[in-house]
Amino acid sequence: MASERKLGLFGAIVTGLGGAIGFEIFALLNYAYFDLGGPSMISALAFCGIINLITMLSYSELSAAIPEVGGEYTYTKVAFGGFISFMAGCLRWLASIFGGALAAVVFVDQLGMFFSVFAPSIQEIILANISVLIVGLVIILVILAIRGVEEATTLIVGTFLAIFIIFLAMSTKYTLTPQNIVPEASPTSAMYFFATAAYLFPMFVGMRALVSAAPQIKNPGKNVPRALMITTVVLTVVYFAVAYVAVGAVPISGEITGDEFPLLNLAASAIMGPVGAILFALAGIVASVSSVGTAMMVQSSVLGGMSRDGYLPAEIQRVHKRFGTQYIAVIASSLFVIFFGVSGAVAFLGYAASFGSLLVFALVNLSLIQLRRKMPRMDRPFKAPLYPLTPIAGIVMSVLLLTFPVVLRDVNAESALLSSFGMVAIVLVTYYLRMVKREIDFNRLRVAVGGICFGAGVTLIILAPVIVPSSLFNIIIIVGGLVSILAGILHILASTRKID
Amino acid sequence: MKIRKTLTAVTGIVQSAIGVLSAVLAVLLFVNILEVQAVFNVPPEFLPLYLLILCLFSVFSILSGFFLIRERRR
Repeated sequence: MASERKLGLFGAIVTGLGGAIGFEIFALLNYAYFDLGGPSMISALAFCGIINLITMLSYSELSAAIPEVGGEYTYTKVAFGGFISFMAGCLRWLASIFGGALAAVVFVDQLGMFFSVFAPSIQEIILANISVLIVGLVIILVILAIRGVEEATTLIVGTFLAIFIIFLAMSTKYTLTPQNIVPEASPTSAMYFFATAAYLFPMFVGMRALVSAAPQIKNPGKNVPRALMITTVVLTVVYFAVAYVAVGAVPISGEITGDEFPLLNLAASAIMGPVGAILFALAGIVASVSSVGTAMMVQSSVLGGMSRDGYLPAEIQRVHKRFGTQYIAVIASSLFVIFFGVSGAVAFLGYAASFGSLLVFALVNLSLIQLRRKMPRMDRPFKAPLYPLTPIAGIVMSVLLLTFPVVLRDVNAESALLSSFGMVAIVLVTYYLRMVKREIDFNRLRVAVGGICFGAGVTLIILAPVIVPSSLFNIIIIVGGLVSILAGILHILASTRKID
Repeated sequence: MKIRKTLTAVTGIVQSAIGVLSAVLAVLLFVNILEVQAVFNVPPEFLPLYLLILCLFSVFSILSGFFLIRERRR
């Protein structure tokens, strides 16, 4: 079904800003400033803006040439077909899960900040019941998502920009501490700089909402690229200015560690007093609630799309009789948001959201290169300048940002990367099981699983005394190992006979 | 033949249960409920490795158990 084109250039810019300006600025600046880059975090933000701009050139070309529903999923599908598009869809889904979970954590954090100004006892109660509040928030938003509630994007964007402008205007009357925002010229400093950029990257990726809205934008060949460029520049300038003021208002010292209060709230409190603290806490609450809702809608739409294409069970597309929404997809998505949200691990979730998005960016740039080679005569109302330098630079920078936090041995980054890989492994197995229907392939898969089980069982039995010194746990691990070995033998015996 | 089918089904169920328990243990370690990391003596720097091993073991155990149960039902 074709969508009605009703958004002009201004509407497209508001959509892009609405997707990007959100809870991330409340959550991510803290760890980036106090634990990673220090004041050079501001330069890392500008660097993120440049990377975003480069990849947005690829997005602009693809969205102008293929103005259809699905965004990255559709581009990779046209460029590479089945598996890569499935991968892109799943990574987008993963990034959205982690982003939604992070927003849920920020909601509780900001709710606590709000009450800390005039009722510290309520803040303590909130902080003692983080998990309950996250579960409650997600359940309410699931009900609203199933009932099909629309968001007031323009209102939220306008309010945010107004708050930031007031914050910046009032900072002119405040004495900011001068900070060195340029990273030092040393390998370690450079690595921390890149790690900071990787961590802050989710602050920009929400702009993709503009690409998703391409089918509703008038004259997409001209308006989408222009809107993407303008949104990137506006976003980078606003983030840079707000972060500069926040860092100047809250210099790093032994007393302030950022563990108790987010950087932006501290800065608002210092510059604007209690009014600023309340204003920013309210903004944080609205932004995070809106982001959790959006994340669940995005997830259900991605799951629904993949189910429509046969990658996931058809039940996921089941529509609610009364409200006409895909309620099973919404509920399934919310469970993941709750699962990761109750961990409360902001740094881990920030990295995890970033890694998924960076991989999607790399795939979009690859799609551009592939489509230029595969379909040179395709109608392209907008062409990315300096091709192939721009997509190659986008891929290289995405990979660099993925690598540096792990090279630095940041535990949060390692956990995020491993969790992402673990979920991608599940995705790959799902794809294989859904797509491989022939019996002979299924039996080969069973031989492989049997071999893995056998090997894992033997390894467990050998390593049991080393892993856990306790005798009771040793016995449990050995029993687990024996079951794995037996299962492996059963798989191999049953499958090799059928393959022969 | 009947003994083998029963063995296949029992192994499948037990292995799936082990897989689910591994996943639960991974979550407990990650969230550190009841100080599980201290009970299992897991150093923070090795936590991602433990989580990865547990997650992979869990995925393959559940998958393998599911295949064995499926064979019994066919």
